[in-house]
Amino acid sequence: MKRTFLKVVTSIVACSALVASLNAADVIKIGVQAPITGKYANEGQSIDNGVKLIVAQYNANGGVLGKKLEVVSCDDEGAAQKAAICARKLVNAGVLAVIGSYTSGATEAAQTTYYRNKVLQTSDGTSDSLTKHKYWTFFRNSFPNSAEAKFTAKYFVKSKNYKKIVVLSDYSSYATGLADATVKAIKDLSGNVIYRGKIKSGTQNFTAVLTKIKSMNPDVIYYSGYYNDGGLLRAQQLQLGIKADFVGGDSNDNPDFMKLAGSSAKGTYLINVPTPDILPYDIAKKFLKDYKAKYGIMPASIWTLLNIDGLRAVLHGAKETKSLDTKKISDFLHTLKGFPGITGPVNFRSDGERIGGGYMAYQVQADNSYKIVYK
Amino acid sequence: MDIFLQQLINGLTVGSLYALVALGYTMVYGVMKLINFAHGDLVAFSAFAGLTIYAQIFGEGKTSIFIVLSVFIITALLIAIVGVLLERLAYRPLRTAPRLSAVVSALGAGLVIQNATMLIWGPNMKIFPSNLFPSTIWQIHGVVFTFTQAMILGVSAALMIALYLFINKTKMGTAIRATAIDQDAAKLMGINVNRVIMIIFVIGSALGAVAGLFIGINYRGITFDMGWMYGLNAFIAAIMGGIGNIPGAMLGGILLGLFNAMISGYISSAWAETFTFVLLVVILIFRPTGILGETIAEKV
Repeated sequence: MKRTFLKVVTSIVACSALVASLNAADVIKIGVQAPITGKYANEGQSIDNGVKLIVAQYNANGGVLGKKLEVVSCDDEGAAQKAAICARKLVNAGVLAVIGSYTSGATEAAQTTYYRNKVLQTSDGTSDSLTKHKYWTFFRNSFPNSAEAKFTAKYFVKSKNYKKIVVLSDYSSYATGLADATVKAIKDLSGNVIYRGKIKSGTQNFTAVLTKIKSMNPDVIYYSGYYNDGGLLRAQQLQLGIKADFVGGDSNDNPDFMKLAGSSAKGTYLINVPTPDILPYDIAKKFLKDYKAKYGIMPASIWTLLNIDGLRAVLHGAKETKSLDTKKISDFLHTLKGFPGITGPVNFRSDGERIGGGYMAYQVQADNSYKIVYK
Repeated sequence: MDIFLQQLINGLTVGSLYALVALGYTMVYGVMKLINFAHGDLVAFSAFAGLTIYAQIFGEGKTSIFIVLSVFIITALLIAIVGVLLERLAYRPLRTAPRLSAVVSALGAGLVIQNATMLIWGPNMKIFPSNLFPSTIWQIHGVVFTFTQAMILGVSAALMIALYLFINKTKMGTAIRATAIDQDAAKLMGINVNRVIMIIFVIGSALGAVAGLFIGINYRGITFDMGWMYGLNAFIAAIMGGIGNIPGAMLGGILLGLFNAMISGYISSAWAETFTFVLLVVILIFRPTGILGETIAEKV
């Protein structure tokens, strides 16, 4: 009895070892680190879905370098602690590259682990600090805060002629970074920031801060945080009868912002790179069509598409260098010029920064559609 | 001046929500000497349950006084049942066990409710429709007062007065007070202690459900983990007012709401929590039983 049991166990072990070695040889693993649950779940799920869609398409065309691709997802809930755990998990799973995460905070918490283990990472995080480490493994697939801040400042001071500007953020590293950069950029153009405040994300009740702002009678309230607070902020702003314009930074660009703000969403300004539906490129249209066909909805926002471009660039690098050596792929990507991406040409600088990127200001219309007001 | 008045209204609104939730903590503590840590999560659960009841029974988009009232009543009844179940499953088996076991059980029950909420309704934020209450706004000398705020203040005040009268003027209320003072003696006097405890959970949970619905209607976006924040604040409110004391919980809730609004409005929202805890420590140093917690014999 005992012996048969042993035999079974050894054969199982042998089989699984065989399967594992086969796997290792035939599959390229792609990691996804995204907030699949939690506050930013609809962005995280969209990124995860997008990566799975692209991987399925590559696999249908024979994979990369004759190998099939496989997705390993890890949910970081948008939190730094969970991000560090995800980083270990994905490294242990032996991924070639990691797509994500959505938030800069979670991205930064995982960055070093990927760098030490020579795993490529491409994220949409916009904190300027992400590329400051000069990790050769890191590629930003979006554009840094400083670029958005300059655009916002120019829009406020040169185009809108706002005289009294209020800048709000939450306490996340991304939002404070963007808000501080924006304040600096506004001051560089000799604009007038009368108040720089912070709100605590998730506390729902922002009336105290807004009442304080009301007494300052500002022309505009700029919020650099995320949509789940931004929508409420806008609704409570109008409730308190504050007439100022409301301008949301890029992370407010999400369907949930409109739902939370309800009828107050109308007239809000958002600043972001072009929205998915107005991208002029054929591959963008095709991607959106395929995504819609597979999942029944549109991607949550542009962030999914930016991450997909990161993934496509990495796979392009693997194909061109005919290798799975991350250092070789990285060297290739650092000189990448004009790779046709869903969100426009992909060019990387030697520090992993994506070059280019045109921001736009949108105004939300009564039916929640966007109208481009400045670019 | 109008800014100060506005902050007063902001604070009172949040404060009465805290007070409603704090009553659930304080009543259970008064009778059972147990801190019901699952209460905050029950509040979050009730917001989700209310939204589903509204969407499933009455259909989205429709609204009338009758519908809104029914949603409140059905949700309160449902949450009262959940509260009683919670007591039966998580607390009654441990009634004679050391108090620490019951507290651990309460923490566990809170996690169960929170995760059940996440599994039933998903991890994403759910959003209340904006048309449940009319969007009327009154503006007097620059001070803004919304219909929802008026409802929150009015309904909370009415419920608290009703509860106060119930505890102090009715036979059942007397039984509750007696059980709070001494369970064994109450039993000897022929009071059905199990029934008293059931009533406590029915009332506490129903008040929590009302608070949960108000949170949903006022702030629109609800998340499965928001119960922790409201639970913690209400718990602090209950301790400030004197845990176990019903008027104390009301006072503590209102005070906490006002204090938070003033700190956020005049200093910084970053400091609101720090100052809250400083205030709590100061109160406990000078009045260890809370502001109204002196008459120990009157604990309910």
